[in-house]
Amino acid sequence: MIKRSKSMYGYYLVWPALLIYTIFFVAPAIIGLFYSFTDWRLDRIGVHFIGFDNFHKIFTDDTLLLAMKNTLIFAIATVVGKNVIGLLLAIALNMRLKSRNFLRAIFYSPSILSVLVISIIFTPMLRTEGMVNKFFDSIGLHFLSQAWLTNPDLVIWTVALVAIWQSAGFQMAIYLAGLQSISKDYYEAAMIDGAGAWKSFTNITVPLLLPALNINLMLTLIGGLKVFSEVFVLTSGGPGNSSQVVGTIILRAFGEGNWGLGTAINTLLFIIVTLIAIPLLIFMRRKEVTE
Amino acid sequence: MKQKARKLSIGALAAVFALTLAACGNDSSNSESGDSSSTSGGGKKVTIELALSKSSQDSAFVQQDLLDEFEKKTNIKVNLQLLPAEQTSTVLQTKLAVNETPDILQYNLASATTDLNLERNFEILDDQPWVSRLLNKDVLSAYGHVYSFHVSQDTGMQGVVYNKDIFKELNLEVPKTYDEFLAACEKIKAAGYTPLFMPFKDNWAANVMPGAAFGEYVTKNEPTLFDDLNANKKKWTDVPAFQTILDQQYDLYKKGYTNTDVLSDSYDMAAGQFLDKKVAMMFMGDWLIESVEQQDANMNLGLFAYPTDNSGDAYLGASPLGGQLFVPKQAKHKAEAEQFLNFIAEKEVAQKIVNAQGYVSNFNDVTTPELPDYKQEILDNYITPKKTAMTMDAYMLVDRSELYRSLQDQFTGSKTSEKVLQAWGDKFAELMKDKGEAGF
Repeated sequence: MIKRSKSMYGYYLVWPALLIYTIFFVAPAIIGLFYSFTDWRLDRIGVHFIGFDNFHKIFTDDTLLLAMKNTLIFAIATVVGKNVIGLLLAIALNMRLKSRNFLRAIFYSPSILSVLVISIIFTPMLRTEGMVNKFFDSIGLHFLSQAWLTNPDLVIWTVALVAIWQSAGFQMAIYLAGLQSISKDYYEAAMIDGAGAWKSFTNITVPLLLPALNINLMLTLIGGLKVFSEVFVLTSGGPGNSSQVVGTIILRAFGEGNWGLGTAINTLLFIIVTLIAIPLLIFMRRKEVTE
Repeated sequence: MKQKARKLSIGALAAVFALTLAACGNDSSNSESGDSSSTSGGGKKVTIELALSKSSQDSAFVQQDLLDEFEKKTNIKVNLQLLPAEQTSTVLQTKLAVNETPDILQYNLASATTDLNLERNFEILDDQPWVSRLLNKDVLSAYGHVYSFHVSQDTGMQGVVYNKDIFKELNLEVPKTYDEFLAACEKIKAAGYTPLFMPFKDNWAANVMPGAAFGEYVTKNEPTLFDDLNANKKKWTDVPAFQTILDQQYDLYKKGYTNTDVLSDSYDMAAGQFLDKKVAMMFMGDWLIESVEQQDANMNLGLFAYPTDNSGDAYLGASPLGGQLFVPKQAKHKAEAEQFLNFIAEKEVAQKIVNAQGYVSNFNDVTTPELPDYKQEILDNYITPKKTAMTMDAYMLVDRSELYRSLQDQFTGSKTSEKVLQAWGDKFAELMKDKGEAGF
């Protein structure tokens, strides 16, 4: 029996996927690494090796450094926001509410919208004389009325807020799945032993929810570091360069015909994502427990 | 349990395969049905792609009735790819780089030479049948060859687009000096209209006034200045007049003569603002007048030169002819693309377009119609007395979007006019150096 199943699902089954992965990911990544050390440009025929010039430029250009700072702000803000709100929503909607299925659908629904649609909804709402500010003014909270998308100090946070609004429901769905896989027996046993809600949460829910937390942290962190579409559709990196992130800077470098520099920034982004994500993944895996 | 999961996953896999196959099958059957329906029109139905900026969507070459007529006649369908205005050059550069080019694209010849590497990427059209009928080959040529197509030879003019009816209503004359301009703004504001519309969410719009005013300054005062800048003999910060011009634009905003949310409003709102009679003026080119009057023939707009000083002798900015059609070397349907150009160049078709748009014809057998009022005025008041100057952009060899972005920074209050020019000067030097220009 065992032998048969082995022959049915041998390692050779991995080859088609591996081939596709190699052609469409590994090979371009390696070629990209090569190009990031060249002066590959729109208006020049042929490419020449220029050593670390592109990388030197990245670390000395103010706009590029600002883009990195913005990317980190966006990543951290969205990781915290999406997970905290997602988890709270999941806990709330795991309770026995009559309307919970309806509410789950409502909270999940923004994540199926295209970012483009979201930009069309939010851009007019976030104008200086838009709905959001009018609302704050009408309830007397004038200090909350801001130039959401045109204040250079605020704009990246606004984009992060919109991203959190969109995807917290998705994180909620993953947490809900995690919560539902925890057996009720643990809570009953804890209750009999006299544990309160908080104790049950910290000693049962949190440890057993770690796999879901792990997935969510990874997804939001990688998504946050690779942010492009939210910024692009809401501000295109503006006003000026104040909301540029690494993703939009890559586009700008390509737009200027500086493909070598664009590839170098892309390579750097790949390295940063890998350096942050892999150690975190290993660390989180160690913390996971099984029922 | 395991067995069930296995069955499920195999089932899911099968479903995915089936879907993929169905999708492929669908595709081929679609094109087949396209073929069969096309036999009635004669020949195989071909679809060609025409890419253009969204800001040019009113272009005469892409009007639906023209495209329909072409399709009826030749069985070639023209599919439009509208690119976001700010990203047009990026998208086109990328498409050209990866050889996924449209069959035709609409772009400005001058920008195509700096942004799109004309010689490497585009077909030379010297041997096309319509070339012999051209009156002014220069507006379509670069490096001694015809690279582009247009039925018009009349270049866009930039200055202040204004609503004549509002001016008449308030008894206002066209301002000749800077002081008169400010006084006009004050009067318009007092009457409850927005004096100036600044749609600076689109950062290029922030450059319309400075681009024309820089060009005017250089033409009048330092004719070699742009050459000196391009050779790194002078720096952008060396020209106090540039700074003054940028300060003027910002002051107009600070004085409350503009829409309140300049960085949220975009260019596509401009026509609507004029049609709704909300605004009286805007720094823009005469192409805006054309598109507003197309939507409402009763609109009465004009163009005057922005007076940067009190000399009373302001010039209009002249941009190089724009909106030409190009055929990329890598186009998949080159013959069909050229057929489209031939079709527009036909005497009757070209005449119809020239008439409808009020163009100055570029074909010897197509007559220039009586010009619309605003154009006749531009001709009489500025072109004939030679009160025009090429805009800054005509002289630039590198991408200017970083300057446009810095102009936005000025309006967020994060950069002074001096800092704007400094930042642009640095970026300019970097871009020129990357491009391999001498002196950088």
